[in-house]
Amino acid sequence: MTNSPSNSPILAENLTRHFGEVKAVDGIDMQVNAGEIFGFLGPNGAGKSTAVRMLTTLLRPTAGRAIVAGFDVATHPDEVRRRIGVALQDAAIDPLMTGSELLQLQAVLYGIPSSQTKSRTAELLERVGLTAAGDRRVGTYSGGMRRRLDLALSLIHQPTVLFLDEPTTGLDPMSRLTLWEEVRRLNREGTTVLLTTQYLEEADQLADRIAIIDKGKIVREGKPQDLKAEVGFPTLIVNVQKDHQDAARSVLLQFGELRPTAEGTLGVGLRDGAQVVTDVVRKLDEAHVHLIHLEINEPSLDDVFADATGHRLEGDKS
Amino acid sequence: MSTMRSAGQISLRNLRAIPRLPSAFFPALLMPIFTMIAFSGTFYAVTKIPGFPTDRSINWYMPIGVLFGSSFSGIGIGFTTIRDIETGFYDRLRMSPAPRNALIIGPLFTAWMRTVILNLIVVPIGVALGVRFEGGILAVLSLLAASLGMSTLSLGWGLGLAYRFRDMRAAAIMQLSIFIGLYLTSAQMPLEFIDGWLHHVATYNPITYILYLARQGLVLDGTSHDMSWSNTWPGLLAIVVLSGLALAFARRGLDKLDK
Repeated sequence: MTNSPSNSPILAENLTRHFGEVKAVDGIDMQVNAGEIFGFLGPNGAGKSTAVRMLTTLLRPTAGRAIVAGFDVATHPDEVRRRIGVALQDAAIDPLMTGSELLQLQAVLYGIPSSQTKSRTAELLERVGLTAAGDRRVGTYSGGMRRRLDLALSLIHQPTVLFLDEPTTGLDPMSRLTLWEEVRRLNREGTTVLLTTQYLEEADQLADRIAIIDKGKIVREGKPQDLKAEVGFPTLIVNVQKDHQDAARSVLLQFGELRPTAEGTLGVGLRDGAQVVTDVVRKLDEAHVHLIHLEINEPSLDDVFADATGHRLEGDKS
Repeated sequence: MSTMRSAGQISLRNLRAIPRLPSAFFPALLMPIFTMIAFSGTFYAVTKIPGFPTDRSINWYMPIGVLFGSSFSGIGIGFTTIRDIETGFYDRLRMSPAPRNALIIGPLFTAWMRTVILNLIVVPIGVALGVRFEGGILAVLSLLAASLGMSTLSLGWGLGLAYRFRDMRAAAIMQLSIFIGLYLTSAQMPLEFIDGWLHHVATYNPITYILYLARQGLVLDGTSHDMSWSNTWPGLLAIVVLSGLALAFARRGLDKLDK
């Protein structure tokens, strides 16, 4: 699915934000097509949230421009706000209020007529499975319930574009799956979704296209399967004794380029494919390298990330 | 999109917080009661000074207590706003298409409601302890007008600082400035009893005239604190000017949040 830039729900051109000397977002270009889930993938501090804050009118760009839902975020912020839904990273919800009260407040702020407020509130509570908890104070909610309520709040005015900033960070696996299913359902109903995440699996599972951001710049962009195909070779990861690492590195270099891996391991992109693994093991044995563990991975988004940035996303988190 | 409807809903949220988190409202309520009882008891002897405008120390000290409480009703919402900014809840309000003025008018409604509640509690306690409204209902209304004025300007000041600092550093400045602003007046002694630099500062401090407004009809024996239009308009003018400046300070601060 492609759109011309003029009717893209989200379009950024040279979008830049500086905080003093720090370039949090350094001139990114981005186009999100109508009806797609676009994943914004990067480690903490990469610039994802700053970019989202600019796209959602919370922060003025230092340079460049962004058009969201057809309006410039800097010159027509109110028009943008009427058309977008946003669930920010921390699910910032007043713990003293009940779920129903929060939805009613949100409904009024978005200009929903009084006659529709109650029915819309009940409908959204049901949609996110919080009908029974609607009259409870949010302070008593679990992390997953708060996230679902946050999602419901962002949907009060039936937005055409939805921004989800790390929606599953800190959630248990079950809550994460529930939220993923809801995001897919919203997307099937026609909502364009921009999702930021630091979880590779989340981007892989949900996003039609992704952009990888690192140090404020977009370093790769495309469909997950295409990006993985570009990286090409499978990665062989070996764990050897510390004093054998130099010898192992020399052997691995005969089979391809070394790739960044988690600390204590070595990785090589096998240019002749997985069939050379037995040759690698034999060569390591001939070099008297004691092998502790070995695994082979098909290209993943982490490989794409490592290829683009020189370091691993998952390694950063560990 | 209606400013008043949005403001009303924001105000409702803040009002709901009073019974749910009473500890956040207690300081504004206890401050005037403490000031009224402690000061009028401790400084009872000042009423014996020849020319002191009342023989009831509680009549002298209750209005300053009420103004302190009203100020804390205003800056208390500044504290809440800092918490909302720090937790991210304020982003939710700012991301909505509700008119920006609603984000200030809503808290203003709350500050007024808190001030009315405060008056409804503190004034009867004062009366029970010996306060006499010699000026009758007009004196009560005058005190209410002064306290609403103080809560308005304190709210504007508190919000403006909250928007600029965005963290608890603002809270210390809010409290300190309110103390300084209220004490550099005729809070403790009549203006004509004060000498030196404090006399000059208190004379030019507009809050002195808000205090005159609050004390009207409570201290009838003096020459400058009688229930009169000449004691009313300077106080009202001070309220209008200071509140206007404070609310403009808040509005500009809100705009700065986007930058």
